[in-house]
Amino acid sequence: MVEKESYSIQFEEVDWNDTSCLITYGPLPDKLILSIQTVGLIQKPLLQRKSDGLLRIICGSRRLAVCQQLGLEPLSCEVLSTAISPVASLRMAIYDNIAQRALNPVEKSLVLTKMAQHLDQAQLVQEFMPLLDLEPSDTLCGRYKKLPALEEPILDAIARGTLHERIGFALSPLEQGDRLAFFNFFQDLPFSVSVQEELVEAVVEIGRRDNLTPTQILDSEEVNDLRRAHKRPARQRAQQIRKQLQARRAPRLTARKERFAGEARDLGLPSGVRLIPPPYFEGPKWSLEFTFAGAEELAVRLRNVARLAEQARFQRIMERE
Amino acid sequence: MRYLPQRLVIEKEVADSPLVKRILATLPDTPVDWVDQLKEDEDGENGSFLEIVKFRGRFIKPCPGTRFYNCCGYQILNLGIQCSLGCTYCILQAYFTSRNVRLFANLDEAIQQLTEHLNNSRREIHRIGTGEFTDSLLLDPLIHLSENLVPFFAAQPNAILELKTKTAQVDLLEKMDHRGHTIVAWSLNPPQVIAAEESGAAPLEARLEAAQRCQEWGYRVAFHFDPLLAYPGWQQGYQEVVDRLFSAVEPGGIAWISLGTLRFMPSLKTVIQQRYPNTSILDEEFIPGLDGKLRYFRDLRVEMYAYLNELLLGIHKDLCVYLCMESDDVWREAFGFTPAERGGLSAMLDRRALS
Repeated sequence: MVEKESYSIQFEEVDWNDTSCLITYGPLPDKLILSIQTVGLIQKPLLQRKSDGLLRIICGSRRLAVCQQLGLEPLSCEVLSTAISPVASLRMAIYDNIAQRALNPVEKSLVLTKMAQHLDQAQLVQEFMPLLDLEPSDTLCGRYKKLPALEEPILDAIARGTLHERIGFALSPLEQGDRLAFFNFFQDLPFSVSVQEELVEAVVEIGRRDNLTPTQILDSEEVNDLRRAHKRPARQRAQQIRKQLQARRAPRLTARKERFAGEARDLGLPSGVRLIPPPYFEGPKWSLEFTFAGAEELAVRLRNVARLAEQARFQRIMERE
Repeated sequence: MRYLPQRLVIEKEVADSPLVKRILATLPDTPVDWVDQLKEDEDGENGSFLEIVKFRGRFIKPCPGTRFYNCCGYQILNLGIQCSLGCTYCILQAYFTSRNVRLFANLDEAIQQLTEHLNNSRREIHRIGTGEFTDSLLLDPLIHLSENLVPFFAAQPNAILELKTKTAQVDLLEKMDHRGHTIVAWSLNPPQVIAAEESGAAPLEARLEAAQRCQEWGYRVAFHFDPLLAYPGWQQGYQEVVDRLFSAVEPGGIAWISLGTLRFMPSLKTVIQQRYPNTSILDEEFIPGLDGKLRYFRDLRVEMYAYLNELLLGIHKDLCVYLCMESDDVWREAFGFTPAERGGLSAMLDRRALS
């Protein structure tokens, strides 16, 4: 059994700056305030007396904050013995939280970061990642451990679920200004998570190649023109910006695609027929796509395409130069 | 530049092997850890440990080509893994987690397997190399492996050994009776690329000087422009390499020259970014190839191959220049023919091997 006793605390006894066992992240839930206002505190917070006489919060930081806000003092709490080790206290805080609710990604990152101060990597990965519903992997653990260093607006968005933690991982190696530039960019435009990842990679690589910061690229005139074209739907603006950044990262492939599009147009393929080059123009397999309403229509289109295929301009499309 | 491990980690089972005895005699002051069996996850700092173990698999295997691109039919004699030269683009970074160089001490078994392999297909020509998973000559000053391999191949009527290296450590080859069955090959790049991306390897001049010496000793030599790297001014850079190459070596004594642009498994990208944050080799645009590796866009590959081929054949029209792992359409566009039109790439190289 854990040694603890009930004790009525004054809020001035609480060391609000000691966050060593604090793994809760996110705004105070409105319903918690309503609950305490209506029926009072049902479950007592758990604290631990420290050597300086102040109390460290172990479990119930939000309840304590609400009670302080409501002026419910003195407040009856459970207080742990000083004999309990820091790692045992932290473990208690973690298990108490995961027993009650699913942690958000920022909270998961706090668990891993704080526990890493007490455990070796193997134990951390094997015990705590499955507990947090994460794949037990050193690489993933490393990514989560970098999240707490991100800026507050980014963490808030990850905790709220409006920014995926994968984007947090992608942003973590960048400079602060660049992280925030990406964050604002993604707040403006409706990109999927995988496209956000793709864009972070592309913009960072363009920056490395052209000696520019990601912020300079995201704030460039050509990007801003599209970003601020508010008459167009946000989804369309997002697509155009993505296309523009892809073209900047891969100018050769883009030029080739444009040339192919022009050549295919000039070829005069019958309607309902589409010529598709190999992916990335790599390899020999070209495709033709037919849309038709019946056998007769298909036969006509096949004959027309067969005639076209014998022409030199059709064959020239396949030859790249 | 000579490889000197800070520590030796040796499996007890191979303690009495000639290779271990030689290393211990050559490095008497290097600390040694004797282990029952090597643990896979122990890594010396930046690969500074030399591991010597018993290899329990097949020593000889076909080069892992894919059906999507033309493969040269090379075979790999695997006598060790990893390399300490620290080239930024090195594929071994993705293949092996440990950076330690590892040697297989049961060389007698390797030779036995190799003998059986050659005897089982005596009518085939075997081009065999030791430079796929390590540098062929990196450890030669320490272990004198060439003293075993070169005479062995000299006695084989149907086999050629290719020693691929980025070092200039050829001294031991001088007195050997190779009988034309060993080809010594260098990977080449412009000096600025070597300085930035192959900083642990020998400079271009040293490689070419070593090639010149090998030619003087009667060896045929080969060169691999692989990886060819696109950077601003690459045309000029590679032109200089070609000029220097042919001022150092006799073109008639070149067995073959291969060309291959930078390509790598996608997982290597993160490794390169982490280990070499200042490298510019990832700046060019890459596309996923048919084999899943990231490659330059085909138009750039064709441009680079055609440029190098013209330079090389402009100097000596009978050179055997080939593309490593490229498709027929790239061959046709860059060289004007496909390997199949000349009997296949493997046959092209077999003819050169024994010519």
